[in-house]
Amino acid sequence: MSRPGSSPPGNWAIGRLLWSRLIWRHWKKEFRLTLVLILILALGVAVFLSVRLANKAAVSGFGMFTESIAGESDAILRPRSGILEEGVLRELRDLTGSHPIGIFPVLEATGVVGSDEKQGLLRLVGADLVALQNAGNYAEGGAQSFGGGARGGENSVLGKPDRGFVGTSFAKRFGVEVDDVLAIIVNDRSVDLTIAGVLPEDPNRAAVPDNLVLLDLPGLQTLSGHPQSVTRVEFRVPPGPKSEEVKNEALARVWDYAAANQFLLETPEDRKSSVTQMSAAFRLNLTILSGLALLVGMYLILQAMEASVVKRRSEIAILRSLGVTPGQIRSAWLLEAIILGLVGAVVGILLGRLLAIGMVGAIAQTVNTIYYQTTTTAVVLERSEILFCLFFGLAASVVAAMIPAREASMTPPAQTMRQGTQGGGLALLRNRPLGWFLLAVGLGLAFLQPVTMSSGTTVPIGGYLSAMVLVFSASILIGSLFRPMAALLARLKGNVMWSYAASQLKRPEGRHRLTAAGLAVAIGMSAAMGILVASFETTLTSWIHQLLKADIYIAAAGANSVANENTVSEETWQRIAEMPGVAGMDKLRRYTISSRGGDFFLGGADYNDDPERYLQLIWVDPPKDKGPHALEEMTGDRYPGWISQSMARRFDIELGSPIALPTPAGIQPITVAGVFAEYGNETGTLIVSRQHTSRWFSDTSISNIALYAENGTDHEQLIERIHSEFPFLNARTNAKLRKESIRIFHQTFAVTYALEAIAVIIAVSGLGLALAGLLLERRNELTTLKSLGATRREIARSTMWEGSGLAMVGYVGGILLSFLLGWVLIYVINPQSFGWTLVYRVPWASFLLLGLLTVGAAAIVAWVVGFRNAELKSDRQE
Amino acid sequence: MKALQVSKVTKSYDADPVLRGVSLVLEAGERAALMGPSGSGKSTLLNCVGGIDRVDEGEITVDGRSLSGLDEEGLCQLRRNTVSTVFQFFHLLPTLNASENVEFPLQLAGLSDGERKERVTELIEEVGLSHRAHAMPHELSGGEMQRVAIARALSIRPRLILADEPTGNLDSTTGDAILDLLESLSDRHGIAMLLVTHSRNVTRICERTFEMRDGKIVGQDEAESE
Repeated sequence: MSRPGSSPPGNWAIGRLLWSRLIWRHWKKEFRLTLVLILILALGVAVFLSVRLANKAAVSGFGMFTESIAGESDAILRPRSGILEEGVLRELRDLTGSHPIGIFPVLEATGVVGSDEKQGLLRLVGADLVALQNAGNYAEGGAQSFGGGARGGENSVLGKPDRGFVGTSFAKRFGVEVDDVLAIIVNDRSVDLTIAGVLPEDPNRAAVPDNLVLLDLPGLQTLSGHPQSVTRVEFRVPPGPKSEEVKNEALARVWDYAAANQFLLETPEDRKSSVTQMSAAFRLNLTILSGLALLVGMYLILQAMEASVVKRRSEIAILRSLGVTPGQIRSAWLLEAIILGLVGAVVGILLGRLLAIGMVGAIAQTVNTIYYQTTTTAVVLERSEILFCLFFGLAASVVAAMIPAREASMTPPAQTMRQGTQGGGLALLRNRPLGWFLLAVGLGLAFLQPVTMSSGTTVPIGGYLSAMVLVFSASILIGSLFRPMAALLARLKGNVMWSYAASQLKRPEGRHRLTAAGLAVAIGMSAAMGILVASFETTLTSWIHQLLKADIYIAAAGANSVANENTVSEETWQRIAEMPGVAGMDKLRRYTISSRGGDFFLGGADYNDDPERYLQLIWVDPPKDKGPHALEEMTGDRYPGWISQSMARRFDIELGSPIALPTPAGIQPITVAGVFAEYGNETGTLIVSRQHTSRWFSDTSISNIALYAENGTDHEQLIERIHSEFPFLNARTNAKLRKESIRIFHQTFAVTYALEAIAVIIAVSGLGLALAGLLLERRNELTTLKSLGATRREIARSTMWEGSGLAMVGYVGGILLSFLLGWVLIYVINPQSFGWTLVYRVPWASFLLLGLLTVGAAAIVAWVVGFRNAELKSDRQE
Repeated sequence: MKALQVSKVTKSYDADPVLRGVSLVLEAGERAALMGPSGSGKSTLLNCVGGIDRVDEGEITVDGRSLSGLDEEGLCQLRRNTVSTVFQFFHLLPTLNASENVEFPLQLAGLSDGERKERVTELIEEVGLSHRAHAMPHELSGGEMQRVAIARALSIRPRLILADEPTGNLDSTTGDAILDLLESLSDRHGIAMLLVTHSRNVTRICERTFEMRDGKIVGQDEAESE
């Protein structure tokens, strides 16, 4: 009832009162706690955002060079395999006739700087610089910058194989200026490249990649050993009133021409998308991992918000007793959560950008090694990413704050004021039947068929859903581990504080369950990745061990990147074969083929004559004849070919399937005669005899040599002889190659390890917060303990045992969860994403270490929390 | 020997004086009530005597030992062996059952298994809760919880029990029963008691009543001997 002459304040007035008197003052008073809350929110957002940004930046460097120099092309013509004869240019000019359309032939090759493999590959791009210069009226910027270089004369680059332009980032990276000379290796030759000019940055265009060298087309043709050949032809219609009409008419003719000649005609975006699709599964895996880290972050945010609510529960009760409605209290809390969420998200976005800058190099290196050539570009924050992260931060904060605030506002004030409501956590976590139900659903989802994307990449939706549901199931079922853990602790017969800690675990509160769930998710996720990595490593090591039987491995420089196009000429490999101490060799020539809506590798293999010593593959579906000459003879009118397991999965082909292989000599009929295991790439490989590929591609060069030394030959000395005679070749002993393969493997998982570490750190921080919340809730208990004579250190020790026990529950639950997640990763997600069959392997030693680190860290955090809180005074009665 | 001697004790919180030169004496086995309005300093005095809070000036001696000379460890030892507290809201440890709550201080004091079990059985029986020995705190009524709290306070055989509104959260019948229990146990074991209360009824078991106001003892009543 309101007093005469006064009207009761409305919701808005009460809201303002609550904001100014409670929320704002609380933040000022508990500045550190507020800061921690914001940082937790920020960390959750940052991890997710950083992986997304780093992924984008790492693959966005793939592109046509004209994107940055001549503006984006309207279409690109390229062969399905090999390279184009320059003669097609004349035919294309005739076709397009009088239409004002720019035709730019491009040749791409690769090289390396000096003998330093770590510098990565150089992209050598040969273009018709005169045409680019003349096209200056519609190709603003870069093309204008060739200066006198493209006009002939003494400083001309025209036709020169040793003069080229680079971007400013290249100049900075290698510390070169105009007229400096840089020694580069192309194929098995060294060239002194003179920097003819540095292309200026144009803020309106994408930056010129830091590994790109632009040469005149005839110059690169000479340098790369591909006279009168081009890799692709780019078309650009100048902007103007009739540009659409010209584009439609001229490109329609080119389209017909391409179809008739088995060429591909695509837009740059199509090309980029089909190439970057190759790494889609790898990047999707990273995103999923960051999503899981986010899930752990959510648990932490929930714990942190709950701890904050618990601390102010009596405040809520007082408000209730003063007549503030539960709805008004929830609104005040909602406002607080919104502000914290927004601030946390903004900090997270800034932090995420910084993390992404640190991460992008590692991702790009992996993509370079395994998938295709890319350079990193600046980490760009798009508006959509910012909005998404703001939304996420807000949603996480609001959900996490409203659950405990709702519970607190609904509790009768007298109960809260007298005893404080105990428990906390989510009621859901006590619902054991739901846990078992989710476990069954999770296991069932693992058997769903994968979804196939347009590029042939399959996404194991069922596997990912299964992993997510299993995580929720484990969050609930982990509660069952408390009693056995308490019984175990009780049986160990420690002192009284030990027994007291055990009694806390015997009757766990909601917060215990929530904390253990958060910890179990983090440990489960990390340990499952550990199982995947260990399984992968075991399988890979055994594969490498069986596969690498030769004594020395030789490749052209730049062998560590899959995009390497450098080759070893026939003259060179013939001379190596005749060197003293060489008993024989396997030779492989690798090509990239575009067919069936995606790219795959074609290997032309030429095996050693020795029936015992030649490359023997590991078979999934073995061929009838596995011998060194099995691929040479045609079966009827078809060539036999062996395909990798990844190729079989990607293109849905099997033993006996026909393959129409596009080559410069026309479509070749292949029959799959065997399927082999390969863990080097997920793109897919087809192996046929090199006798055939050298004919189809008119090419006698090779990409790799596996060399067998005569008995008694010193391998290191033989390598020294090879290096002294052919300094531009990369020759390694068997042991070194194995070591290098494992190094690349670990590099691939570097980001994974970082994410795992973040997840565990988040979870242990969560444990500290949860214990702080629990002790605040138990402050009367602490006073009782002190009144009974317990010292501050004894209370801290008891909290330490409780925290350690809690960590043990989380750890054991997490390990159990990891067995299930590991099963999903190895038997569902991995074969469906990559087509790789792995051996299930549990890294027990790492698990033990993870356990010791987690429980040890938890014990330290818990002791500190206990020691600090042991000084809390009980509520005064007066 | 005197069970408790408080001499000219002062205590302030943020320059706000709560105790202003309080002095009182309790003989061994003597029971005294401390009365006064809210904010008069009763509970603060109790906290200081129990060693949970420290005085600014003056001296508190329990069983002949001065508290000002004790460090944190010494105060813990005092609470383990000499002084027990009974609270208005019982403050049982919620994860321990009735027997375990009583046993807990004995464990802290380092008594052997056999000795502990014997003493717990005896005390639980003494407070009339043998049939509820294994009940958890939330399964007990208010009176039963206070009985457990009293048994726990007695378990270390203290020289002094401090009781802060021991019947404040109980109905009058249960409160009377608890007072009778405290009286008989105090007599039987010769334990001095200082009871903070608002209730005149509590004074019936006390030999003396101290009246506190604004942080000072302003009056003292001697109970008539029966």
